[in-house]
Amino acid sequence: MASQSQVLVEVKSSVRILTLNRPKQLNALCFNMISRLLQLFLAYEKDPSVKLVILKGQGRAFCAGGDVPPVVNNIVQGKWRLGADFFRDQYTLNYVMATYSKPQVSILNGIVMGAGAGVSIHGRFRIATENTVFAMPETALGLFPDVGASYFLSRLPGYFGEYVGLTGARLDGAEMLACGLATHFVLSSSLDALEADLCKVGTSDPSFVSTILDAYTHHPYLKQKSAYYRLDVIDRCFSRRTVEEIISALEREATQEPDDWILTTIRALKKSSPSSLKISLRSIREGRLQGVGQCLIREYRMVCHVMKGDLSKDLVEGCRAILIDKDRNPKWKPKRLEDMKDNMVDQYFERVEEEERWEDLKLSPRNNLRASKIAAKL
Amino acid sequence: MSDNRALRRAHVLANHILQSTPPSSNLSLTREVCLQYSPPELNESYGFDVKEMRKLLDGHNVVDRDWIYGLMMQSNLFNRKERGGKIFVSPDYNQTMEQQREITMKRIWYLLENGVFKGWLTETGPEAELRKLALLEVCGIYDHSVSIKVGVHFFLWGNAVKFFGTKRHHEKWLKNTEDYVVKGCFAMTELGHGSNVRGIETVTTYDTRAEEFVINTPCESAQKYWIGGAANHATHTIVFSQLHINGTNQGVHAFIAQIRDQDGNICPNIRIADCGHKIGLNGVDNGRIWFDNLRIPRENLLNAVADVSSDGKYVSSIKDPDQRFGAFMAPLTSGRVTIASSAIYSAKVGLAIAIRYSLSRRAFSVTANGPEVLLLDYPSHQRRLLPLLAKTYAMSFAANELKMIYVKRTPETNKAIHVVSSGFKAVLTWHNMHTLQECREAVGGQGVKTENLVGQLKGEFDVQTTFEGDNNVLMQQVSKALFAEYVSCKKRNKPFKGLGLEHMNSPRPVLPTQLTSSTLRCSQFQTNVFCLRERDLLERFTSEVAQLQGRGESREFSFLLSHQLAEDLGKAFTEKAILQTILDAEAKRPAGSVKDVLGLVRSMYALISLEEDPSLLRYGYLSQDNVGDVRREVSKLCGELRPHALALVTSFGIPDAFLSPIAFNWVEANAWSSV
Repeated sequence: MASQSQVLVEVKSSVRILTLNRPKQLNALCFNMISRLLQLFLAYEKDPSVKLVILKGQGRAFCAGGDVPPVVNNIVQGKWRLGADFFRDQYTLNYVMATYSKPQVSILNGIVMGAGAGVSIHGRFRIATENTVFAMPETALGLFPDVGASYFLSRLPGYFGEYVGLTGARLDGAEMLACGLATHFVLSSSLDALEADLCKVGTSDPSFVSTILDAYTHHPYLKQKSAYYRLDVIDRCFSRRTVEEIISALEREATQEPDDWILTTIRALKKSSPSSLKISLRSIREGRLQGVGQCLIREYRMVCHVMKGDLSKDLVEGCRAILIDKDRNPKWKPKRLEDMKDNMVDQYFERVEEEERWEDLKLSPRNNLRASKIAAKL
Repeated sequence: MSDNRALRRAHVLANHILQSTPPSSNLSLTREVCLQYSPPELNESYGFDVKEMRKLLDGHNVVDRDWIYGLMMQSNLFNRKERGGKIFVSPDYNQTMEQQREITMKRIWYLLENGVFKGWLTETGPEAELRKLALLEVCGIYDHSVSIKVGVHFFLWGNAVKFFGTKRHHEKWLKNTEDYVVKGCFAMTELGHGSNVRGIETVTTYDTRAEEFVINTPCESAQKYWIGGAANHATHTIVFSQLHINGTNQGVHAFIAQIRDQDGNICPNIRIADCGHKIGLNGVDNGRIWFDNLRIPRENLLNAVADVSSDGKYVSSIKDPDQRFGAFMAPLTSGRVTIASSAIYSAKVGLAIAIRYSLSRRAFSVTANGPEVLLLDYPSHQRRLLPLLAKTYAMSFAANELKMIYVKRTPETNKAIHVVSSGFKAVLTWHNMHTLQECREAVGGQGVKTENLVGQLKGEFDVQTTFEGDNNVLMQQVSKALFAEYVSCKKRNKPFKGLGLEHMNSPRPVLPTQLTSSTLRCSQFQTNVFCLRERDLLERFTSEVAQLQGRGESREFSFLLSHQLAEDLGKAFTEKAILQTILDAEAKRPAGSVKDVLGLVRSMYALISLEEDPSLLRYGYLSQDNVGDVRREVSKLCGELRPHALALVTSFGIPDAFLSPIAFNWVEANAWSSV
């Protein structure tokens, strides 16, 4: 029951409006919400009377991420496999959304982070507003941008994805639109009217949905200090082969022309978990060459290694420092980038061996040609 | 009536002009009768871990490869385009030659700025060399022109400075080359002399008073020809020339000459002309060079092997001119190594496209009104593509092995590297051309569309069969080297050692008269046939040459007359060496699905090589019945490899963006909405 009230369902003729409803936790996705969403999405796909799914959040967040503290609890109690179940279902949901045969419209009127990006960016339409704040902050938590982020971040222009994924930089709605994370920008004051119009759509043809959205589209200006204006520097630095080279390229830029943005960027990288940074970079680089399913299967391997903690326990430490003790002073291990060797990075991408009944993420084939037309083209 | 017809005609014409959308709804065909693209991944499953297989095939620097693939995908310089909902990067071959040359240079600048070439000349050791080879291979998967232009600059110009030059040259040129402060080319080939470097006609003399060398092109046939980089971009060149000192020709030597200033103006006493449009590789600016009393400082002689003192005395640590020439040529092996491996990557691109297409394209029904059959479900289509796939696998291991012996080279391994690289370069590049032609035919008309790549690649890679040593000449060198080895071992009554000839020390293998399926797939049997063939052909070749010499012919002329045996022998040697590399790779694997599928692939490689070689029947190594058994087994293996076809090409690790639209949703890629 609780899970049902955590995801509100409204039936509006052929449209279903799903509202993430845990406003006090900024709609952080817990296990129950994920299961519920998965169940609903699969049911709607089969139900010919449903043409369109709208996903939004209650309160000031769309969704601030996954509900990590229970997972960390499990890990601390030696039960990381429970955490693996959480991620397995979550990634499966991401996959279903990425290959969905009906348009999904996500209304991102507030915070969109981590898992929140996972349940929206893969869908066909992503509506940003003036209230949107987007970030993939995982490297500061000892994790890595997962939920299929290695797929969608790697497909952003140039090396913007590496920048967003490694530094956890925040983007506003205009920036999301500019880089392609959002497909439309609508002023929050128009959202009710837009929703009402969308509910009249009687087809799953994305071009009809597009026409409705276009009527509400606003063309925002990028703020003057937007990172998106720094795409040339981002490309020059974040295209480098290794995290170390990225940082030294940024430092070189900083000596030539020091400014707040570069210094903030360097600081963000230096504060993040070295192991997280290295596996994140590798993940985005591999993701660029893979399909969304392969990305999720790889990320599942990675997240299992992160939870198992054989190479680094940074996830537990990061959550302690950021979410629990809130001292914001994590003690990463390995401490320095150079201590995180390539062969250690490699291991995160291998199967989890010597673990009973552990299996790679299995994604059932999505036998749907319409999916390729309707799912997001990132 | 006639009014109606006129109206209809007007409509048709208007539609042609206006390109209007087709009449909608009520006229449209229903979905059920329309062909739909179904991705091969939906119907095929992977019987082994493709990531693991990819690591085996690429062999080294997988992360570096992915990095540079990404670099090319994320830049607008690499002609990104969307087809059928997917991104592709591939050059626009419809650009003019001049445009292709300029964009190729710009792509190289971009790779340079991103640190791709860091350490290519200033770092040493196997690790640095392998990284460089991996990055060059990926350049070639994007576009052969990029890899050739980069290859000329680093592997020909750069390595010549590094290996033929000494400290003074290294200090002056290597770092500048790595940073593209200078752009190098390599002027060896002349109009009148290609593979026969010893015969080049460019002449260099020494002027004692000015302490300068003077380079001349004495006749039209001495003009330098096909010099990559010379037509537009290169600022410097290595000049290969006869060196005349006090009237004595000391043989071929290498010099450094500047041909353009930093602004790109051609230097005095140099004339440069274009080689013109080519059947492929038009991103490379091949040019012709004439030298008119060009004066260069004495220090510009690359003097690792021989030098001229300031007062004009010729000094060399190697007295024998033949050996001196050999010492000169030894470092050029790198060219053959990179060509061999890039040929295999090109074959991989062709096969990945053709096999993916054959897993999504159907033609003809076997039963009335039945569904059309998937191309790769036709045994004949399997027979066309799957043996080529198996060969590509075997040769992929061969190319890796060649790279390994190259990066770990010592003076003692030079001869083996020369022989093996000659054989592999020839056989692998020929294999690429055969594969591309078969792939182009296997995808039908789509293969002639440039954007689908398989057809275009034929033109782009064709030159590989003749540059850096004509394939036929290289194969003759293999046979000659084997001859020399045989004669020397027999003369000194010593056992064979090296070049994989050790099997000659054991008794002749005896093949079973009845060939069952399990015999045919047994690695020992396969090795025995390949050894028997090599051994017998070597004996026949040496005895035929001896016979001819006995009749008073010279050794060289005897070789020429024995060209048929020489050809068979060169092939037998190379194919056996390739078989050995895939056997070794297979042996290193722990038991499991990867090892099993490698076993199938290896058997296919071995048996198809036997099936295609008439010498087995000609010389009676196999009976007529045996040959029939081999043929049947090939067909059986086709059926067994068929379920692995998708996984085997996925394991090539070539990102989707570097294949072509027909490898994916070719219906959507051609939809009206994309026009």
